[in-house]
Amino acid sequence: MIDERVAIPGWELLHRVDALLAEVVAGRSLMRHWVRLCVAMSLGAAIYGAVLGTWHGAQLAFYDALKLPLVLLLTSALTVGFAWTAAVVLGLPLRFGQVAVLTFLALAAGSLMLASLAPVALFFNLSAPTPGPSARTAHNLLYLLHTALVGGCGLGGTVALWKAMRRLDAPLRTLRAVYAVWVAAFALVGGEVAWALRPFVGSVYMPVVFLRPDALDGNVYEFIFTDILPHLASWL
Amino acid sequence: MESISDIPQPRSLTGVFNELLIRPLAFLDRARNGGQASPFRMIAVSTLCYALYGAAAGFFQGGDQILVAALKAPMIILFTLLLCLPSLYVFSAVAGAEWTRRSFLAVLAGFAGTLALVLLALLPINWLFSSSSRHLSSATIIQFFLWLIALGLAWRFLGKGLQATGARGGMVLWLLLFCVVSLQAATVLRPVLSRKPGGAVFVYGKKSFLEHFGDTFREGETAR
Repeated sequence: MIDERVAIPGWELLHRVDALLAEVVAGRSLMRHWVRLCVAMSLGAAIYGAVLGTWHGAQLAFYDALKLPLVLLLTSALTVGFAWTAAVVLGLPLRFGQVAVLTFLALAAGSLMLASLAPVALFFNLSAPTPGPSARTAHNLLYLLHTALVGGCGLGGTVALWKAMRRLDAPLRTLRAVYAVWVAAFALVGGEVAWALRPFVGSVYMPVVFLRPDALDGNVYEFIFTDILPHLASWL
Repeated sequence: MESISDIPQPRSLTGVFNELLIRPLAFLDRARNGGQASPFRMIAVSTLCYALYGAAAGFFQGGDQILVAALKAPMIILFTLLLCLPSLYVFSAVAGAEWTRRSFLAVLAGFAGTLALVLLALLPINWLFSSSSRHLSSATIIQFFLWLIALGLAWRFLGKGLQATGARGGMVLWLLLFCVVSLQAATVLRPVLSRKPGGAVFVYGKKSFLEHFGDTFREGETAR
């Protein structure tokens, strides 16, 4: 019975995580675990992505079901090299495959948490007024809600990463430093990848598109420092 | 020394609820060890308690709103539980909980039961404030605070239950999620406390709970 369930991507993250972590720490079956984590991560993110876009209709739901897994895959792909280098430099000599599995483990756990929130997110989307110029408040509230849920699940996913790292044979100080660097890299790169692949919730003024024409024109941090912070400062 | 699993199953339903108060983990322990536990019966009786609590809240307007509120309170809580079920399972499993179907159902029913008990204990206070409040805005604020108190005390069971199954840390965030979802559920199923004479039992129209609260506070001064 259990063996059949293990074939379901993500099942081992929820029920056999100790066995999985033992194999990763020992460096066994890394490729198999990496592929399974990729599948679990993509499925979880696709489920939440499909729900995320429903406020704007089926087209954006379909786009988001493709784009949210892409955000996580691209974030992992862009950070894995740095994560491995940083770990080695900080005194944690892991194999590249182990780093790849560990970093994907965090995002896969976060994706499963996101998928479990799909009913809640769908409920909020369905209770919001339909998109249009008059629904700007609803848009902002949904935007905040989804950002909080995605950010929260991302952080939640790093709990799995920390549990895995505690099993490694290294001083706690080194583990903490590596963990902090990895999480900071995820957050910085993930935020920018998501910004480049916008829209997710969908604008109340602009039409639905897969990618905006200005996707790579400016980054999210420029936007925060030149747009959001001055706007907030003008309120004070 | 007598272990929890040796303690016999209470015969009456009041015994089960009494056990939830004095030995909150006994119900879960019996379920985990294959003993007799009746989660569905507990949820059914909890639903009745939610209805009584809703009826007390309906005294704000009185009349048939007592029945309407008695119908809607269980709907709000059960709908919220249903929506938050997958996240409770996944979040706690990621936090380290080792679930079986029986233990998950027992924790869920125990949470619903504890919530029902606390709401039942708050019922006289709810009735007093609902009957005496003049403004919808103040009645709403009181309901919100009573709900926060009920959730905080129900956490006593849920937190211990999750810890017993192996979950470590961060699960209080799920309670926050549950609270936010319940507020939106109450908005979708509005009006609960008060409606205009001859007004519909359910108002159709999409609205966020924050907007609804804002409207309630603007209109509340003339509601009763």
